[in-house]
Amino acid sequence: MGHVLKLFLLFIAATVLHWAFMAVLGGAGVSLNVMLVFACAVCAYLPAQYGYPMAFLCGLFLDFFGVKLFGNNALTFTLCATMMYGLEKRLDFDAPAPQIISMLAISLFAALFNLALLKFFAGFSAWTGFWPLFTGVVFNAILAPFVFWSVRIAFKRER
Amino acid sequence: MTSQNKQRKNTSSHGRRGTVLPVVFILLSLLLMVLPLESPVASAKALLSYIFIPQIRAAHAVVEYAEGVSDTVKDLLNTHQQNALLREQLSRLRLENAQAKVLFEENVRLTEALNLQAPKIWQGVWAKTAYRDPTQWNSVVIDKGALDGVYERAAVIALKDAQPVLAGLVLEADDHTAKVLLLRDEDFAAAVYAAPSGEEGLLSGAGAAQMRMQYLPFLSNIQVGEKVYTSSSSSIFPAGILVGEVAEVEDESGFRTSLTARVEPAADASSVRELFVLTPQKTEGE
Repeated sequence: MGHVLKLFLLFIAATVLHWAFMAVLGGAGVSLNVMLVFACAVCAYLPAQYGYPMAFLCGLFLDFFGVKLFGNNALTFTLCATMMYGLEKRLDFDAPAPQIISMLAISLFAALFNLALLKFFAGFSAWTGFWPLFTGVVFNAILAPFVFWSVRIAFKRER
Repeated sequence: MTSQNKQRKNTSSHGRRGTVLPVVFILLSLLLMVLPLESPVASAKALLSYIFIPQIRAAHAVVEYAEGVSDTVKDLLNTHQQNALLREQLSRLRLENAQAKVLFEENVRLTEALNLQAPKIWQGVWAKTAYRDPTQWNSVVIDKGALDGVYERAAVIALKDAQPVLAGLVLEADDHTAKVLLLRDEDFAAAVYAAPSGEEGLLSGAGAAQMRMQYLPFLSNIQVGEKVYTSSSSSIFPAGILVGEVAEVEDESGFRTSLTARVEPAADASSVRELFVLTPQKTEGE
């Protein structure tokens, strides 16, 4: 129960941060995805029964603000969670380097997979150019150590 | 049940969750994407928008606060830079002040040694223009008089760009008011010198025309643009007050023994508002 409450509070904080970053960086064409970084951080430090539902919920949160397709972010985030649990067995996520590298790869995958889903299911091309994609991936990676650290501190690595 | 069996059971339970959960959520996501859920999704969105509004507001508040912090930090940095600059200027001015003090003391000693008149410190009262005859721009009435220390033939100074410039002299002094004769009046006269040539002459008003600096040495090399200051040989005005600027040196033709220069006064008679009237001076050391 303690985990659920902490996750709920962290989720609220992540949504606020997500909106705040979008408000600040959105104008500059940077598509930072705090929710994705937060979902990956949860998967890095908590068991699957917490990680998958949280990833799904984070994706669903973004889906509620989408207009073209519903569920694409939830699917993308669930797949990202699967990737994180796969990586978690091989990488030590207490160090910043694995966090940054994994977030670079996962953010790139999430962005491209989302584009493919929108194109396939909604016939909509959401490609806005290389710059937003590149900056979004890089900013996610830069933000990763801070978000991972916050989640690790909150749960004191109780896995 | 042994501990090994328990551990094996936990591991297999974790493994099953790790396989089942992603499959469940992937299927659920796919269903959400393909099923015709526009209506329930729209209702859920409407409901969730109420739930997320506080977070969105909180996010905007965070952004606004962050922007405010940015401005505050900018202001602080600017203030810090200005403060550093002012400190530097203050240090330099302190040094210059110390040097000036030493030079002043040296000047006093030399003046005493040479038995010259000691330097004088300006003392006086600030006055405002109380009345100006619209047809007579050569004089003004000020709101200070004899009871304030104003006396006849006292020098009157104005400020132009924070620099003292000669405005005229007191012609009449009543108890509470005084009449000031401005530079342009034809009755005004003062001993002056031009810098840097150092040539001395007698300055006199010429009405609406530029002032005249007369009796300059015939072979004088006075140039247009030189500044004109009151001379120490003046019995009324303290030395070194800016009077104006040489605008023209009259072309000499015919027989003459001296030159005359036209001087543009620094004080503008039409805009004189506040004036400093010199009161009886104290000699340094008195």
